[in-house]
Amino acid sequence: MKLTIERAALLRALNHVQSVVERRNTIPILANVLVEARDGMLSLNATDMDISIVERTPAEVGQPGSITAPAHTLYDIVRKLPDGAQVDLDATGGGDRLILSSGRSRFTLQTLPTEDFPVMAGGDMPHTFDLDAGALRTLIDRTRFAISTEETRYYLNGIYVHAVTEGTPALRAVATDGHRLARVEIELPEGAAGIPGVIVPRKTVAELRKLIEETDGTVTVTLSETKIRFAFDEAVLISKLIDGTFPDYERVIPTGNDKVLSVDRVSFAQAVDRVATIATEKLRAVKLSIDAGQLTLSASSQENGTAVEELPVSYDRDSIEIGFNARYLLDIADQIESSQAEFILADSASPTIVRDAEDPGALYVLMPMRV
Amino acid sequence: MNLRETQADPRTAHIRRLPETLVNQIAAGEVVERPASAVKELVENALDAGATRVDVTIRDGGRALISIADNGRGMTPDDLRLAVERHATSKLPDEDLFHITTLGFRGEALPSIGSVSRMAITSRPRDAEEAWRIEIEGGRIVDPKPAAGAQGTVVEVRDLFYSTPARLKFLRSARSESGAVQDVVTRLAMAHPDIGFSLTDDGREKLKLSADQGELLDLRLARLGAIMGREFRENALPIDAEREGFRLTGYAGVPTLNRGNAAMQFLFVNGRPVRDKQLIGAVRAAYQDFLARDRHPLLALFLECEPRAVDVNVHPAKTEVRFREPGMVRGLIVSALKHALAGAGHRASTTVSMQALGSFQPEGANSLPQQTSFTGGYAYRPSYPPISRPSPGLSAAAYDFQAPHTLTGGFEPAAPSGMGETVDPETGEVSDAPSYPLGAARAQLHATYIVAQTDTGIVIVDQHAAHERLVYERMKQAMDAGGVPRQGLLIPEIVELDERAADRVLERAEELAQLGLVIESFGPGAVAVRETPALLGKVDAPGLIRDLADELEDLGGAFSLKEKLEEVCGTMACHGSVRAGRRLNTDEMNALLRQMEATPHSGQCNHGRPTYVELKLADIEKLFGRR
Repeated sequence: MKLTIERAALLRALNHVQSVVERRNTIPILANVLVEARDGMLSLNATDMDISIVERTPAEVGQPGSITAPAHTLYDIVRKLPDGAQVDLDATGGGDRLILSSGRSRFTLQTLPTEDFPVMAGGDMPHTFDLDAGALRTLIDRTRFAISTEETRYYLNGIYVHAVTEGTPALRAVATDGHRLARVEIELPEGAAGIPGVIVPRKTVAELRKLIEETDGTVTVTLSETKIRFAFDEAVLISKLIDGTFPDYERVIPTGNDKVLSVDRVSFAQAVDRVATIATEKLRAVKLSIDAGQLTLSASSQENGTAVEELPVSYDRDSIEIGFNARYLLDIADQIESSQAEFILADSASPTIVRDAEDPGALYVLMPMRV
Repeated sequence: MNLRETQADPRTAHIRRLPETLVNQIAAGEVVERPASAVKELVENALDAGATRVDVTIRDGGRALISIADNGRGMTPDDLRLAVERHATSKLPDEDLFHITTLGFRGEALPSIGSVSRMAITSRPRDAEEAWRIEIEGGRIVDPKPAAGAQGTVVEVRDLFYSTPARLKFLRSARSESGAVQDVVTRLAMAHPDIGFSLTDDGREKLKLSADQGELLDLRLARLGAIMGREFRENALPIDAEREGFRLTGYAGVPTLNRGNAAMQFLFVNGRPVRDKQLIGAVRAAYQDFLARDRHPLLALFLECEPRAVDVNVHPAKTEVRFREPGMVRGLIVSALKHALAGAGHRASTTVSMQALGSFQPEGANSLPQQTSFTGGYAYRPSYPPISRPSPGLSAAAYDFQAPHTLTGGFEPAAPSGMGETVDPETGEVSDAPSYPLGAARAQLHATYIVAQTDTGIVIVDQHAAHERLVYERMKQAMDAGGVPRQGLLIPEIVELDERAADRVLERAEELAQLGLVIESFGPGAVAVRETPALLGKVDAPGLIRDLADELEDLGGAFSLKEKLEEVCGTMACHGSVRAGRRLNTDEMNALLRQMEATPHSGQCNHGRPTYVELKLADIEKLFGRR
């Protein structure tokens, strides 16, 4: 294998694939990236056995072939090369060496045989639909903050994606960590009506989000009950899905909440942030005292003292006091794009609904903290 | 060959009464399982007979010979004959099994031992002219004969288990059997400090404890010191608490004196050594703040109560007891220990300073001629003047400069407020000032250790460990005062347990709610977790509930939740405290010392390591051969 490629193109592709490679591996080949040159294209493939990313980019191929080389080392070298440099990759010298040369630099890298590289088979994936990259970004961004990191309930360690066919058809993404829940929906794309509900793992979500950052086009999603595949531009990501049952989240979204509080999103977030300075670092408990037309945020700690801040709000029901983790309030405030956030409350012990006043597609549920 | 011809078929054989010897052998299986248990029964008999000294002799780990000689009230020939009968006893005078004031009561020991060995009892009652001797061999009783003997009783057991070869086979090595015998005698000796004990093993004297006169508590501490070691005596906190007819006395070691196992934890109920799971649980609860999970304190506790409040007739060997109100007893033990530990304040074990001194010891120090005369020592070392105490009264004001500006209340100088003169390191002034237990800061070494001078020596403080403990104690106080905030769960976690475990956890629901864990029943064998302590963040609730269920069974208390909370506090305390390497000025150092004095439990960090070491002047003088 022998090829020449522009540094920027190689760096971009490497950047996309290398992050899936774990820093420490018990299987040596998993630390490597599969480099393939064929038909004027360079293809890079990296995997951690759960996720596989393939990215292709044009290159000047001198001799077709393939090799595997350490992903992080390769990435670090290319990153440190000067802008605009041409990079030569040469594995024709025999032995198990890959020679990377650029300008006056020359690196000889250890390689492993291509045949050992685990290629993730897509298998039979019966469902396919197209999704606008922007819509996919919304689905991920609005929900990923609520993904659980706690391993015992593994089925919460991802975003649950499913189709709603009753009422207004929609494609829904849901994530929860047991303390809060995020539910976002978009118009149901064609071909998605029959998909099974699947849980996309946290790491896949993170990798996918990085990959689609700069894309404006369409992402083709293909899935079965165990695997999902995202294809766009010259990149393909295949991932296993979490084998578990997502809880019946509809049951925890309260329907009887009737006290609606409407508040300016920016000033609310800033006030919460300010007041929480006082709260104990691990707890971050903030109390909301809501009266007609006024919201009082307060926090106290034995060590630091107390903080109080008042905000004008639109509210005309009975007074209510409720405590929340400030971190959770800020996370949700971050998701709201319009200027008004809406809180729909019941009482100080029951889940509270938060909505973006102008975005009916997103809904958040937050459990109070009892102080 | 047809088996039925030679052996009675258990399905068709008639029921018959077992012969007496067999009955005794079966009973012996329960009461006497190894030489140590025979020793225990016999020594207890001696104690019940009012002996003031008991001499135990064993050979070959008790297999060849066990001999117990006491100076108790002795037995007449008629008594002797009855004593070796089953269920015959001089105890239980009112035939009430729930009112047991003696160590023994079952009347099983002598016939049981007699049925599996060659036993001889020689006894002379207090006012009798002659002694009588009765022999039993494998259960066969030979009539009493006159014999020579001192007042009291001597029981000799030879060839234990010779008639039950299976049992004999299962005995451990002579060494481990004699270890078990020593353990038994030691335990009994701890409970009876007013009685002299000796143990001779194959001609070697293993134990010799004299019966001294004096106050029972003093005697007891001396006895415990003789058995558990001098360290224990020096670092033991007296325990004395009473609640609803139960009185708990004894001694508990300070946390910095700890061991890798619980072998040095003793509980006596009405003078009877018992092994009790509850004790281990209660001790752990009391010490959990000061010791890592795998370290165990040393202690000996004596519980006295109305005989009716405790059932000792649970197990033939009587090592287990049951209380009418186990929860109350546990509470008494925990609160008494906690109280004693809180009173100990910043006290760290003297072993720590002994270790420190040990490492200071110059090579060959032991070969130096011992200076017996203090002045004599000086004569040869004129260039080393005696450690000079600064002259008093130069300035009374200087100490004010050092005194902390925010002295928290609650501290009273433990030492009589005699004069501790202190020199201000910066001005060189000497002042009269109240003497503090941890002294006045003199210097900071390696930006890590504070050296302070006290009236009687020097104190070296590990600034990070000490401050970490202070911050931790403050946080705990805040937690206790403010309650534990709880984070509600959107989806209640259902934890499947077995039904009994679930009930145990649910019984404590109220207590757990106070710690921030709200649970409720979810059908048989299932618990729904509704709220978790917010401090723990996203916690593995099923794991926590299962741990709690196990602990409630094993130890009778819910420790892991509190431990988890305190662990979080501990980590926060570690981040929020002064690190090693930070320079402190005199004010800061003194403020830290004063806070340590005012804070309970500041003598050790969260893992039982000391936060400071005190070196007595006398010890330092020894290092230099001045004493």
